[in-house]
Amino acid sequence: MTTPVLEIERLRKRFGGVIAVDDVSLRLEAGRIYGLIGPNGSGKTTLFNCITGVERRDGGRVRVSGERVDGLRPWEIAQKGVGRTFQVIRVFPELSALENLLVVTRGHLGGARTRALELLRFVKLEGLRDEYAGNLSYGQQKLLEFVRVLMRDPTLILLDEPAAGVNRTLLNDLLDAVRQLRDRGKTILLVEHDMKVVMGLCETVFVLDHGEKIAEGAPGIIQTDERVIEAYFGR
Amino acid sequence: MNVHITPTMLGQVVISGILSGALYAMVALGLALIFGVMRIINVAHGPLLMLGAYTTYFLYSALGINPYLTVPVSMLVLFVVGVLLERTLVFRVVDAPELSSLLLTFGISIALVNLAQLLFTSDLRAVEYLTGSWVVGPFALSKSRLVAFVFAGALTGLAFLFLGWTKLGKAIRATSQSREVAMVCGINVQRIHLITFGLAAALAAAGGALIAVIVAIQPEMGQIWTFKSFLVIVLGGAGNYPGALLGGVLLGLIEQVASLFLTTQLSEVVAYVLLVVILLVQPTGLLGGRQT
Repeated sequence: MTTPVLEIERLRKRFGGVIAVDDVSLRLEAGRIYGLIGPNGSGKTTLFNCITGVERRDGGRVRVSGERVDGLRPWEIAQKGVGRTFQVIRVFPELSALENLLVVTRGHLGGARTRALELLRFVKLEGLRDEYAGNLSYGQQKLLEFVRVLMRDPTLILLDEPAAGVNRTLLNDLLDAVRQLRDRGKTILLVEHDMKVVMGLCETVFVLDHGEKIAEGAPGIIQTDERVIEAYFGR
Repeated sequence: MNVHITPTMLGQVVISGILSGALYAMVALGLALIFGVMRIINVAHGPLLMLGAYTTYFLYSALGINPYLTVPVSMLVLFVVGVLLERTLVFRVVDAPELSSLLLTFGISIALVNLAQLLFTSDLRAVEYLTGSWVVGPFALSKSRLVAFVFAGALTGLAFLFLGWTKLGKAIRATSQSREVAMVCGINVQRIHLITFGLAAALAAAGGALIAVIVAIQPEMGQIWTFKSFLVIVLGGAGNYPGALLGGVLLGLIEQVASLFLTTQLSEVVAYVLLVVILLVQPTGLLGGRQT
């Protein structure tokens, strides 16, 4: 068996009396697209925060490519090859589009510039490279945030609601880009409310409800799972 | 009071205001950086400036080094002091409520001033190097103030080049725009905090070194600079780095113009009255503060 890109074992996070993530275990293999779904407040974003080290977990283990990362600082985890986007877009508003990419690079500015310009061209933002990111449209900021993740060439990419607030054309471009990344061996885990996107893109779907993983499997199977239907629509 | 103001007097006041304004801007930029990146108001900023002034004084009086050549040395020494302070104390309050960081830096400020009184005594000390004025037409330009202006302008320019064009500078700006995103993007924000604090202390030290040539120094000279720097960043907009430039020059001009009409003691008050008014009327500063 190959080493999973992400392995979460009995991860637990509580906020006061509320258990946000309750003994969740996940295993993500290389070169696949995974979905993470669940009703609002089911712990999806908290799980992302625990993986990226923004929140300290209360129990359990997280391994990236076989290496323990729980307890590391967020930048150390990012340096191990984990990239993420946020539910609400978060670019650096007062850096130019180009600088938004340059600032997160690993090496020196010179080499990074070529790659940054390539990525801007990839999402058709090269004409706006010197514009403050805060002045870009919502869709453009979304694309910028997406390619900022790619700047570090991560092995694991966490996308928090990539389809939210995006028009059809842009969405299709984004989904194509995600598939291309998968084909290049990247592993993608995405939180998404748009079920069409999840069902059309993901090979495996995890379902969270009240912090617990209640189902896992191919999208077709998940859709008919009784616990999942109950979590979404009530009994 | 019946003052007759001539155009020459006004010109002189504008020149003096701009000369001291550049110094204010440079020192305040340090305070603005720490506030922007770490969300801390560093009350010890002025006392760090005082240490820079003493570094220059001792290098000049003991070793006879040209005081202007000591500027980079003072900056380096205080960069190290700043880094040590951040590493040992200040990092503990970065995520704490504002009061914790205010109290901590206030404590550091008192400790530094008392330490200086103990080590250097409260005697006034002067670096008598460049005295007198150059006379240009009807205006008199104090030599030491003019040189201080040139240094402050150049160092502030370098600081902005660093922030704008180097990777580290970009990372500092990114961290001040969103610390959490910077972290998740792989920027070691602990290191950024360390460097920012060191850099701010170095800018204060440059101010101290230049001031030492202008006026006599003593251990309590610093606190007023904390307040003036604070006033400058409030004028320019907290967290808005170019705003510190505008705020610095404005403060210089306001002080000088006020000195035309009022006694020295009263003109010192004008700046603080202005601080209160701006906080009440336009609390984000004249250029507006940070957006997030």
